[in-house]
Amino acid sequence: MTVTNRIYPGLAAVALFTTLTGCTPDQPAPNAVTPSATPATASAPSSDGAKFLLAEEPTGAQDVVAVRAEAKNDDEVVVVGRIGGAVNPWVDGLAAFTLVDASAKSCDETEDDGCPTPWDFCCEPGLGKKKIAVEFVDAQGAVVLTDAKTLLGLKELDSVVIRGKARRDEAGNITILATGLYVKE
Amino acid sequence: MFGLRLLPWEYGVRNLLRRPGRSALTLAGLTTVVFLVVVVVGFVQGLERSLAVSGDENVVLVHALGAGENLEYSSIAASTADLLPASLQGVRRRFGQAYVSPELYLGTQVALAADQPRSMGLVRGVTPAAYLVRRQVQLQAGAWPAAGEVLVGRLAAAKLGWLPEQLAVGRDLLFEGRSWRVCGQFSAGGSVFESELWCPLPDLQDAMKRQDLSLVALTLAPGAKLGEVQLFCNRQLTLELQPTRESEYYAHLARDYRLVRGLAWLIAGLVAAAGAFAGLNTMYGAVVGRVREFAMLQTLGFLRRAIALALMQEAVLLAMTGSLLATLLALVVADNAAVRFTMSAFALRIDGTAVLVGCGAGLLLGVLGAIPPSIRAMRMPVVEGLKAI
Repeated sequence: MTVTNRIYPGLAAVALFTTLTGCTPDQPAPNAVTPSATPATASAPSSDGAKFLLAEEPTGAQDVVAVRAEAKNDDEVVVVGRIGGAVNPWVDGLAAFTLVDASAKSCDETEDDGCPTPWDFCCEPGLGKKKIAVEFVDAQGAVVLTDAKTLLGLKELDSVVIRGKARRDEAGNITILATGLYVKE
Repeated sequence: MFGLRLLPWEYGVRNLLRRPGRSALTLAGLTTVVFLVVVVVGFVQGLERSLAVSGDENVVLVHALGAGENLEYSSIAASTADLLPASLQGVRRRFGQAYVSPELYLGTQVALAADQPRSMGLVRGVTPAAYLVRRQVQLQAGAWPAAGEVLVGRLAAAKLGWLPEQLAVGRDLLFEGRSWRVCGQFSAGGSVFESELWCPLPDLQDAMKRQDLSLVALTLAPGAKLGEVQLFCNRQLTLELQPTRESEYYAHLARDYRLVRGLAWLIAGLVAAAGAFAGLNTMYGAVVGRVREFAMLQTLGFLRRAIALALMQEAVLLAMTGSLLATLLALVVADNAAVRFTMSAFALRIDGTAVLVGCGAGLLLGVLGAIPPSIRAMRMPVVEGLKAI
């Protein structure tokens, strides 16, 4: 009996094993973002964000549409609305988001709608005129360098009241430089 | 198993050569099956690579809000291209030139002449700044397009379903109601840009009577974050802009093609299964004609397991020879072959994965195809086998 005769079944087994173990399942694509039908659960606000939280709901809150129409540059404003208006209403690494008028209906409030990201309000007509930018600023007026979800424990579609100062540019765009936040139940 | 007295290795090899016609047919069948499997996997690999290399992590696409999945339908104000570098510190700059590329992107009917059939092509109106932002792009022939000229991607002819000569430098094309002269050809590292036609942005805007843009592509400076661009877009609510990292845009497209990839793998599986059945049939035929030979071998003292292993050896030898031939054929014939696809064209990629899957399928065909006929052959009593005609 030759050595070859003894080892070739072994070689076949090794080749088969190598083939079977050589294949790995598909890896998820990098930066994969899978939309979810429900907003992520909110975490607790960070210690830095606690100073923005208001114990009581401010009075005299205006709708987003009213603030966009009436507020002048540097006006003190209180605005109520819901977080959303885009698939990603947040700003990476900065305490900022877009706020949608409380009258707007999110996609999960529309009948027979299977939208995976209801907070983008894609079913709302004239959405462009019903949202506003909100930025949480520090004492120097600079945007806080922490994601708003982490800083303030917020999530999409949260109903919030924002207190702050309006900043209107020459093109008519308005941004709320926020100093206070109240999250409605 | 290693204590088993086996038939000599040469016995199986000689057996294959004793029946050259049958062996050649089996080899041809196995080669075809493995070739098809390699090509199908090459299709999946090519599609995935095309999308993977298209997205640059440092490039941000600023487009119309909600048009993130269909940039052809995006429309933003032309002023965005000036506002972005003026407002953002995080845009890469060199010698005062910002890496900002305003672009008009659309799918449109393209023809060689008015009386020629039209094909759907992808056209991108660009400025020379596109060369700064799209770092994969390399001019392969000719020159950057001047007024009335068009630069064609390496795979644009495949996308249009034409011959490469029909998009040679100096040829004329018709789209958007005017004639364009091909001034050069570019490659883009296998990305989807290679299936596009690039022409000067102002010319395309004039031809289409549009003054808007589809998108602005910008390169972030080292250390700059996407958040700065998001903040700008949030503040410019009247412009209704949305930023998307280019790599995420193409990763999203890749996810949309999961079904296509699944179908391709299914086809590969079906081809392999069909090949396995064909192999089984051939091996059954081979075994039926060799019953006396197996009985004789048992009479000589070889165990049934040893004879079964010899049969498997023959099948595996044929299968692996077929796999090698198929791989060689695929590398020569199919590697880098252009494939027309819905949104673009891409090159088949016969890479290590395709070769591994193909050869693995070949090996499995050889092993699995030999087992049932071996079992059948070994069940026959020795005396009956010796008497068999």
